[in-house]
Amino acid sequence: MNQSMLPSVTLTTATPARPRRPWRSILRQRGWHIGADTLLALLVRGSAAVVIIMLVGLLWVLAAAALPSIRTFGWSFITGTDWRPNELQVPRKGPDGKIVIEDGEVAMDTLPPRFGALPVIYGTTVSSLLALAFAVPISLGAGLFLVRVAPKLRIAGAISFLVEFLAAIPSIAYGLWGLFVLVPFLQGHVESSLQGMLLKVPGLHWLFYSTIHIGNSAIERAIPMTGRDMLCGSLILAIMILPIITAVGRDVLAAVPRVQIEGTLALGATWWQSSREMLRFSRSGLFGAVMLGLARAAGETMAVTMVIGNSNQIIPSVFAPAQTMSSLLANEFAEASSPIHRSALIEVALILLVMSLAFNVTARYLVVGTEARTAAAH
Amino acid sequence: MFRSFHNSLTRAQSKLMFGICALFTVIILGLLGLVAGYLVSIGVGSLSWSFFTELPTGRPESPGGMRHAIEGTVILIALASFVGIPLGLLVGIYLAEYSKEWWLAGPVRFIADVLAGVPSIVVGILGYELLVVPLGRYNGWAGAMALAFIMVPIVARTTEEMLRLVPNTYREASLALGATKARTILRVVVPAATGSIVTGVMLAVARVAGETAPLLFTALGSRLLTRNPNQPFPSLTVQVFTYATGPYPEQKRLAWAGILVLISLIFVLNLAIRYMARRPGIAS
Amino acid sequence: MMTWLRQAAVVVLSLGTAVAVAETRINGAGATFPNPIYQRWVVDYQKAHPDVKIDYQSIGSGGGIKGISDKTIDFAGSDAPMNKKELQAAGAPVVHIPTVAGSVVMAYNLPGFQGEIRLTGQLIADIYVGRIAKWNDAKIGAINAGANLPDLGITPVWRTDGSGTSFVFTNYLVTQSDEFAGSIGAGKQVKWPVGQGGKGNDGVTAVVQSTPGAMGYVEMNYATANKIPFALVRNRDGRFVKASADTVAAAGEGVLEQMKQTLAVDLWNQPGENAYPIAAFTYVIVYHDLAYLKDPNKAKALVGFLNWATSKDGGQSMASSMDYAPLSPGVQKKVKAALDSLMWQGKEIAPAQ
Repeated sequence: MNQSMLPSVTLTTATPARPRRPWRSILRQRGWHIGADTLLALLVRGSAAVVIIMLVGLLWVLAAAALPSIRTFGWSFITGTDWRPNELQVPRKGPDGKIVIEDGEVAMDTLPPRFGALPVIYGTTVSSLLALAFAVPISLGAGLFLVRVAPKLRIAGAISFLVEFLAAIPSIAYGLWGLFVLVPFLQGHVESSLQGMLLKVPGLHWLFYSTIHIGNSAIERAIPMTGRDMLCGSLILAIMILPIITAVGRDVLAAVPRVQIEGTLALGATWWQSSREMLRFSRSGLFGAVMLGLARAAGETMAVTMVIGNSNQIIPSVFAPAQTMSSLLANEFAEASSPIHRSALIEVALILLVMSLAFNVTARYLVVGTEARTAAAH
Repeated sequence: MFRSFHNSLTRAQSKLMFGICALFTVIILGLLGLVAGYLVSIGVGSLSWSFFTELPTGRPESPGGMRHAIEGTVILIALASFVGIPLGLLVGIYLAEYSKEWWLAGPVRFIADVLAGVPSIVVGILGYELLVVPLGRYNGWAGAMALAFIMVPIVARTTEEMLRLVPNTYREASLALGATKARTILRVVVPAATGSIVTGVMLAVARVAGETAPLLFTALGSRLLTRNPNQPFPSLTVQVFTYATGPYPEQKRLAWAGILVLISLIFVLNLAIRYMARRPGIAS
Repeated sequence: MMTWLRQAAVVVLSLGTAVAVAETRINGAGATFPNPIYQRWVVDYQKAHPDVKIDYQSIGSGGGIKGISDKTIDFAGSDAPMNKKELQAAGAPVVHIPTVAGSVVMAYNLPGFQGEIRLTGQLIADIYVGRIAKWNDAKIGAINAGANLPDLGITPVWRTDGSGTSFVFTNYLVTQSDEFAGSIGAGKQVKWPVGQGGKGNDGVTAVVQSTPGAMGYVEMNYATANKIPFALVRNRDGRFVKASADTVAAAGEGVLEQMKQTLAVDLWNQPGENAYPIAAFTYVIVYHDLAYLKDPNKAKALVGFLNWATSKDGGQSMASSMDYAPLSPGVQKKVKAALDSLMWQGKEIAPAQ
């Protein structure tokens, strides 16, 4: 830091060249001494208050709007699998199980709309976890490489820039790529060959067939390999969370004290053995990085909506279309016709919010905790 | 703890894992190349002057251009920045300079981090409930404010971090010379960190430029060149989404071109951020 | 600092007002069913009346009905008439104005298949309920004698959003299959047990386009504009009919008498030798009293646009070329009467051009 970097400081004792603003002197005459100090302090504390209001307001507005749905459905909202926004007319069944006939016509009962969010909670959870399963090994491996090898090759800076750029690509760009590149690729090449290979393996039958219940009968259907399914959604999510986990993981690994690494090398460890020690040392920080990725995956909307198939069902196979909480909101919110429908959707938004906030808070605690522990270890 | 002699298995394992880590790095870069390269190459083929100058024609066979959407995004970002950047800056100053005298700083920092993790579609729903329903229609203000909501935590946290990097000697020297706290902050500390704060602002702008979900239920979208934020407002991202999920190939070509424009903007912003971070300054 | 702030405030406030004075902006939203022709109409009408800018966002009939009920838009497009609950929620009386009639076709993606598929309502219902899983199922083969149907799984495609097209489609299937009526039912947004979803008619078309073996229900224009084949459907009289402007018009022939209290009538499953069974009107929904538009010029402009759109030399002349059926002269008369009856704060609106 050289002398030329010091900015100039204006001295308050010097007479200002401009005339004093009239409103200030008027206020001062009336005994109000509002200096720039007070003003700034006020503004700054006011904005801090605004930030608090932003979070509290968000939770409040959503909770208030979701209240009708919470009151109506209670816990069955989270455990129910039936998401039916329309009323359903079903024949009324008498106590003996037979259809009641009144005046020569089948008596119909009108079932009110039912909202059970388990399919979308399942969709978000499974797609995020699958995305983690794909992304975490790759991210950690790349993070290790970036921290241990790349600096020697002097390409660390360039690679980091590219990784950050990957993180900055907007969700809709990934959605477009997924829709026009990944979906046809999966549909045409990957899934059919996977089906050919895995069908012969016993015990994997459930991957390719699903059972649906119509009335009293159960029918087994082959799941069509369309490419627009849970697998595609998870892959897109994995690609999207790779840069985050890599970047944060790299930072966490870079914070490992050199003493630790040198110690392992002195004891004769191979490259991989010392790397494993690094991973073990910073495991809570790395877990935090993984949680950050999980939070991003859970909240991701546009890319997932375009490739996941939008089917509000729980079908265990990855080749079946699915729906996540955010894609449900993107699809249905704009035209939720009945107030209870809208309230149910906002309850889903609330669950999504709470879920991603929980991940974020945990992640922050773990990452910051690691840095503090690392600093203390020096 | 470790084998003091390396048998060939351990060595081989180490070499294998080394190779795998290198491979994984290549995979990440390869994916970047795949995604960005594909988007760029198809986008370049679809880009033409009419994309920037024409308005939608209503005919799917020759859909015109996306001038309305580009202007819409620029106006939305401008409106969002008008609210989000000052607010974020003030919060950042609060967290960096006033944290010692007020117990609220810790919770506010926590809340700012928490806000950064709110899914953008939930922000859109909040915007709908607060700004669309009372105003009576989908409008650009709701979209801009939803974007501002997303900008504030980003600007606040980066500003705070950059201000913290300014050495305390600056503050002490200023105060010793008799400057008030406000003068110290505004005339000494902030100018010292201007470059880095600007990068934080650019990060926030790059982020909201690519957002789609918060605009879906707030600004909705429009085929018209709109400058009045009281009406449904077009935006590049929503227009791209609408065209891309439709069946018409000519509209899809426009969607590709739109994505190229968006990615180029974000790339340029990221380059600028990197360049400014490398200049000699406090935050190196 | 203060002058800068003042200047900025002036710029921002004038942004809003200055532009609003010069032109009339009307916002409509709703059904994707008529979107192709509505987009043509608003552009052509603007050419003749440059200061009337009409924006129609196709977000689905459910969104349109919700928008007009919340008064967040100026007019709604919907293929599904507002039901009792929705009419109650709206508060004030509404008017359903049929603009065109269209058809819901069963578009399919069978790579390499030549020829035309024939379907019956019962078959379609069985496919969407999940009973029929493959294209070479015996039941499909029974009425497509001689066709070499592939051993390909059927992916039924449906609407994820609140859709008037779904309303028409499900109401038709309810008349065709009791099993469908009992398990899925009718409505703008129902629970589909199998298949994949798309958003809007365009979304469904895109899914069908890109998925071999898929079959989806879309408005005819979306299929023809993208050269996607669609099936012949057996009508009430037992004939297999292909959707076209003529067969839809044939479906609409008998409904004039049904238009008594409201102009919203069902066109599906109508008798007639040449009638296409899955046909429907699409409506523009406005309140009877246009005072909610808050600007008398807007009201005049909207009435003027609707009159032009439903007149023989205006919007209706484009209908057939875009595979919609124009309103028959009898229906046009009723529509004109309904438009003339629209009020502004209790008084009649001055006749527009």
